[in-house]
Amino acid sequence: MKKVLAMLLCAAMLLGMVSLASAEGYSGDLKIWVAEAAVDFTKEQVEAFKAAHPEYAGMNVTVEAVGEGDAASKVITDVTAAADLFGFAQDQLARLVTAGALEEVEPGNAEIVKAENDAGSVGAVTLGEKMYAYPLTSDNGYFLYYDKSVVTDPSDLDAILADCEKAGKSFYFEMNSGWYQTAFFFGAGCQLTFETDNDGNLVKMNSTYASEEGVKALKAMIKLSKSPAFMNGSSFSTATNPGAIVDGTWDSTAAKEAFGDNYAAAKLPTVDGWQLGGFGGFKMLGVKPQEDEAKLGACDALAAYLSSEEVQLARYNALGWGPSNMKAQKSDAVQADVALAALADQLQYTIPQGQYPGEYWSLATGLGDDIIAKKYDNLDDAGLMDVLKTFETTCEGYLTK
Amino acid sequence: MSEKKQIPEVDIVVDHEAGVIREVKPEHLRSKSGHERRINTSIYAVLILISVIWLAPFVFLVFQSFRSYATESGAMVAYLLPKQWSLDNYIWLLTDPSSKFLRWYGNTLIVAIFCAVLQTFMVLSVSYTLSRLRFRGRKLIMNVVLVLGMFPGFLTMITLYFLLKQLGLTQAGAVPGMILIYVASSGMGYYISKGFFDTIPKSLDESARIDGATRAQVFRMIIMPLAKPIVIYTVLMAFMAPWGDYVFASYIAFGSEPNYNVAVGLYQWVNVADYQGFFTRFCAGGVLVAVPITALFLALQKYYVEGVTGGAVKG
Amino acid sequence: MTDLEYFKLSKPEKMLRSVGGFFARLPGTIWNGIKKLGLFIVSLVRGIGTNLADLVATFKDGDWKTRLSYLIMGFGSCARGQWGRGILFFLFQTVFNLYMFFPNAQFSGCYYLGKLSTLGTIETYKEGRRTVYGDNSFFILLYGVLTLFFIVAFIYTWRMNVKQNRISEQLLKSGHKLKTTKDDVASLMDEQFHKTMLALPTLGVTIFTILPILFMILVAFTNFDATHQPPSKLFTWVGWDNFKQLLSTDTTSYGDTFRHVLLWTLIWAFFATFLNYFLGMLVAIMINKKGIKLKKMWRTILVMTIAIPQFVSLLYVSKMFAADGLINTYLMKWGWISSPLPFWTDPTWARVTIIVINVWIGIPYLMLIATGILMNIPADLYESARIDGANAFQMYKKITLPYMLFVTGPYLLTSFTGNINNFNVIFLLSQGKPLSLQLSGNAGYTDLLITWLYKMTVNDTNYKLAAVMGILVFVVTAVINLIVYNMIPSVKNEEDFQ
Repeated sequence: MKKVLAMLLCAAMLLGMVSLASAEGYSGDLKIWVAEAAVDFTKEQVEAFKAAHPEYAGMNVTVEAVGEGDAASKVITDVTAAADLFGFAQDQLARLVTAGALEEVEPGNAEIVKAENDAGSVGAVTLGEKMYAYPLTSDNGYFLYYDKSVVTDPSDLDAILADCEKAGKSFYFEMNSGWYQTAFFFGAGCQLTFETDNDGNLVKMNSTYASEEGVKALKAMIKLSKSPAFMNGSSFSTATNPGAIVDGTWDSTAAKEAFGDNYAAAKLPTVDGWQLGGFGGFKMLGVKPQEDEAKLGACDALAAYLSSEEVQLARYNALGWGPSNMKAQKSDAVQADVALAALADQLQYTIPQGQYPGEYWSLATGLGDDIIAKKYDNLDDAGLMDVLKTFETTCEGYLTK
Repeated sequence: MSEKKQIPEVDIVVDHEAGVIREVKPEHLRSKSGHERRINTSIYAVLILISVIWLAPFVFLVFQSFRSYATESGAMVAYLLPKQWSLDNYIWLLTDPSSKFLRWYGNTLIVAIFCAVLQTFMVLSVSYTLSRLRFRGRKLIMNVVLVLGMFPGFLTMITLYFLLKQLGLTQAGAVPGMILIYVASSGMGYYISKGFFDTIPKSLDESARIDGATRAQVFRMIIMPLAKPIVIYTVLMAFMAPWGDYVFASYIAFGSEPNYNVAVGLYQWVNVADYQGFFTRFCAGGVLVAVPITALFLALQKYYVEGVTGGAVKG
Repeated sequence: MTDLEYFKLSKPEKMLRSVGGFFARLPGTIWNGIKKLGLFIVSLVRGIGTNLADLVATFKDGDWKTRLSYLIMGFGSCARGQWGRGILFFLFQTVFNLYMFFPNAQFSGCYYLGKLSTLGTIETYKEGRRTVYGDNSFFILLYGVLTLFFIVAFIYTWRMNVKQNRISEQLLKSGHKLKTTKDDVASLMDEQFHKTMLALPTLGVTIFTILPILFMILVAFTNFDATHQPPSKLFTWVGWDNFKQLLSTDTTSYGDTFRHVLLWTLIWAFFATFLNYFLGMLVAIMINKKGIKLKKMWRTILVMTIAIPQFVSLLYVSKMFAADGLINTYLMKWGWISSPLPFWTDPTWARVTIIVINVWIGIPYLMLIATGILMNIPADLYESARIDGANAFQMYKKITLPYMLFVTGPYLLTSFTGNINNFNVIFLLSQGKPLSLQLSGNAGYTDLLITWLYKMTVNDTNYKLAAVMGILVFVVTAVINLIVYNMIPSVKNEEDFQ
């Protein structure tokens, strides 16, 4: 009975949305911010959207290149001057919502998003019970790119380091990033999550960093930092001598260029027998609050379109971004992709990235910088435990009071 | 400033090998002894070393900019000489349809030209007035400027952004917006040219005033012709500054790429992760910015030196 | 202590004494300051009193033209034939009235003034799915301050307008002629030329420097940050809370980090100023030594670094020093080191690297300045020193250095305060990194107060703390200036130099 009701409700909403949208239309200005690589692609898709929806054909859409990291900060700085639709990575979601810079997803669209995208991405766009953005990709995680001629066994960290050292190459891992660091902490069995309320306020922290597992992870990181082959970094454009690198799908083209025929990718290695974990992350498209209802309708429709199955698939084909749409994920091309396969392999060891306070990232950078600066090299287990305790209590201090 | 300057009758020399500073007899009092030659040689060695250190980054930058984009990566590498020299990066910057470099360059040039004119006008007005006219509130104005100058410039960034936005001078209006921001408060930087005006003898004004000239006429007809060095110095400084401004320019353009200046445009290529393999393009862009400015600067070096040394002495 | 005793002291002792003297004089200085402030308040109250008395007198003694001018500004001037002034007064009054009482409340000064005490109360709400923005605290504060500016300007102009009437009346009574509009214009080119020259710069500085600074000072007393971001959210007054957060030392505050950053800022400014100063002088002495050829070439090579925009040169240099950058790679290739030198990752290394690279930037400036000044040292000083049998180092110590220090005293001061706010070098080289668990608030070991302020503004949109930081930078700069003004005579007499 409940199911039927829900379906009816859902259908009614859908109908409502369609009729509303087709009745009104919109022909003013609309601005989109996406990453530089996606500008041309987005422009094409906007044209396709206009062709499919004559009521929006008169719309004047501008697409500007604003990086995903930058976009959120800019939108928060001045929401009225910011783009109406903007791409961002999920770690910005709570920050955007608490600043009042994101509109809720239109209820009809929310149902569709929920039904068609993988559970992780749906969770990532939802705060409390409210959905605030449209998932675009499920590929915002990291894994290992390596040079086949250098690394013989990509499944063990020590072996990788030994191979790199032998070949005079480096192993790049961004130790001072709160995002990459979790590979060690989560892999060792620790937990660090935050719970939010509907408005994006962080109300509770669940952490087991200050534990034996945490110490184990920290020790492994210190050991890595001591390796002569270790380099701090995660980007091909600044890595001058990579033999292997922990990086994401957005760098797959650069990786292919750098490694040529020896290009290969795999899940993260194991350390002393335990598998490195980390975040499975997502990219999403947000709509900012609108004062004009017709424009909001246009934004909703365009955002829904840009996150739909066909466009996600087209985006994969054009840019190599791994879709969050479950049907698109099952397409042959996506299944055959080396980088995405490695990512998918890694994903089973990761947890979907939730919301973290903005201060967490700089705190984690501090921890990483301390490790690289060799501050913890001489600490015993108790000393390391104290470090993690400090880390944990500081994190807890970031909760919304 | 009037008598002829003379190099002191003794030369002071740093002997780096011995790590001490030595006296050397004046040239006309000594024969070219071996000792003297040794000292000069070591000075040359130091100067050559310094020159290498000072020039190296620029030479490296130029090398990188000529690395082939097609056959080698555009990313950072750990070797110096390109394996294959090419103009790929320059060609891309100047001709590729997706490159906005020329647009950014044009924006910056416009801003620089307007600043050079308007800022000079502002600075000269203030410095002339404070240097040569006496009126009630003069001291007060100088003290207020001194106090205002103690606040860090970036403090007010967000306020300036919204002020400009109210005037429609952000994003699409970023170019006039930048000009306005650079020019509006430029009068506060009057110190150096005031120092210059202070050195022009007051008797010139007085005799002209006796002949019936108004103060405006004195300014236009007596002082301005004498102020050529400081005018050139001010123009030069005003023209050069906009090329290097990243902070305000990025705020004012607020994500509107066609309205960036070169600094904002190029900076993102090195510091935003979306731009893979743009490093050699950054280098090429940097070279294209640096070469004309450096040439202009070297051509007008004399005036710069006068301004800076005068400013340092006069405060 | 007698002069003789003083001269017997060693250099550091003298130094200590003059600093100590400053602090010994401090209570006196403060007392003087308080006394001056008191006198100022007394004279202010008196001023208001005499002005009010004068206003009443003018009204009582004045004719109907004068009296009407109290209501309609410029009326008296117009009626007496001074059209130019009159119309300007009237226009100003009209603009002021329009601004204050504009029919559309959103644009009127009174509207903003009324909301200034709360910074807005109407929250943003939804109408259906449409967003209706409520009060915008930012603009209420900004226009509130602007309105206060305007009101002060209006009172001043109104007072001038009344005064003008009294002067005109007295002039007419004593049989003089009034200035015509033509005379007024002519005087703007002559006696009043400073007004013409300063009008535009003053306007620019008032709107784009004074107004924003006052605004930000007020922001330091609000909770304007990422979670109170107009137009979606309101912010309001919170008193001294932000100062407490930045300065107190409990776990959620930034006190310890602030002290760390402040200390490094001062260390940095010291080295950036004095290391560059002495090395620059050294290079100048070398280049200017007799018998050294190609002087112009050496100078030009150095000067080139000034011309090349720093965002190009410093960004490139910062990459050169990366762990896998050119320098480390080549040093390792040549076998000089076995693992990369931690230029940017170790706190101490990073600080030293920055200071050293800054020498690379700073030497050319100082070389130019020193060259100019060395030429000015009177040659007979050296001559007589040589006759007394002084060697080169003694002459350097006794003649060159004191002369340089005396002449460049003011420059050193401005250069020191300039280095406290030297944003570019840190921002382009290290961005404040490395961070640490021991520091909070996103600050790193190489962050200066100014780069920390930048991070707070741009990365964290934490305007309230950025504002507090700005005020503290001002306080630091002001204190240093005060101390130095009290210690160095050539700085104090800066204005007498002409």
